[in-house]
Amino acid sequence: MAYKKLLIISQRRAFRRLVANNRERLYRMAFAWTGDPQLADDLVQQTLLKALKNRKQLRDFAAAEGWLFRILANCLTDYRRAKREFLSGDNLELIDKVTPERRFREEELVQKVRQAVQRLPINHRQVVTLVDLEEFSYASVAQILDIPVGTVMSRLCRGRRALRQELLQTRSDEMLTPAINIKRVK
Amino acid sequence: MIKDEKISEEQLNAFIDGELESEEINGVFDEAEQSAELDGRLCKQRKLKELVKHAYRDVPEPRRRTPVGRMPASMLGMAAVASLLLFLGAAAGMFFTQSLEQRSLQTGSESAATGQPVITSENYILHVSSGDPEQMQRALKMAKALLSSASSNTPRKVEVVANEKGLDLLRSDITQFTEEINYLASNRVVFYACSKSIQRLEEKGVVVRLVPEAIPGYTALDRVVLRMQDGWEYIKI
Repeated sequence: MAYKKLLIISQRRAFRRLVANNRERLYRMAFAWTGDPQLADDLVQQTLLKALKNRKQLRDFAAAEGWLFRILANCLTDYRRAKREFLSGDNLELIDKVTPERRFREEELVQKVRQAVQRLPINHRQVVTLVDLEEFSYASVAQILDIPVGTVMSRLCRGRRALRQELLQTRSDEMLTPAINIKRVK
Repeated sequence: MIKDEKISEEQLNAFIDGELESEEINGVFDEAEQSAELDGRLCKQRKLKELVKHAYRDVPEPRRRTPVGRMPASMLGMAAVASLLLFLGAAAGMFFTQSLEQRSLQTGSESAATGQPVITSENYILHVSSGDPEQMQRALKMAKALLSSASSNTPRKVEVVANEKGLDLLRSDITQFTEEINYLASNRVVFYACSKSIQRLEEKGVVVRLVPEAIPGYTALDRVVLRMQDGWEYIKI
């Protein structure tokens, strides 16, 4: 009985740590997906409250981070379904204009990249940011977004190609046409 | 147009994302040694990844109101008076605590008779986000049951936090539960109205009026996390 109680206390503490450790990361990801600080904050709140509500479903704490990001992705899907609309690059531009940091040159680069990311289709944007910002493996991204690993790879390719064209002014895409398919990933 | 025939774009991505096995990594390095063009592509992919990371290293904070900031000016005076009353009340409370506990315990026996589930002796935060009056009533009943079932040696603390449509529970012009809220508040149940939900409504032009027992100081999440950090049990209604 005492052991069971200790286990519950320990799980509760671990969950609290999980929430505390991931709140900032989730917010950053939500902001990268939406480009809107308020909406991102709302999504994170919904995510963590859902996680708290369903915490007993989480059996394996090793998979907890991916679980949280998956809830975040689901919250975003629900939001988009409810709203039937989503922020486009144009909306982001309006937000940028009131950002004071925009005066600085470095910030202009940051805004340029964020705008390019916002212009990606949401499916590509999610994959690129999960891989680049959180360093999730392709397999983890596949689990978070509930898509096959091959789809993760193709979305990543298209997303990065679009970003490269916009941000790095690369030569034609033909140069990057795949000649052979990758055999395996970890 | 130059085409690289050996390394695909997927393979380049997998390389910079650390997804390749060591044999394949060696293969990419070997190819890059031979091809300045491939080397250039690798650099660009890495640069792109770093650019994206850099762009989101510092993200803007969401606009949040502080508890004091949210108070209308007229309420600041009230807050000062409340502080004074709180000080006086603290002294008086020493005398009244006992009777409150007794009252709570009496309610407890009634509640136990109604067959409420057995509840352990801990503090609880209840979260209401539904606009369904039945769910609101359920939250209030549960708060009452929690108070009732607490041990007399360790008085239980109970908070109710309302957000989204559940905020209606604490809106004076909408709620159907004024008396229940008043009763529970007088038994030390604390009610919190989510500041974010209030803000959302105000942005839509809704004037949010809360029952006097409601404290509009935190987002629902902040309050829940704070209490969980204190070891409280969280219950989503």
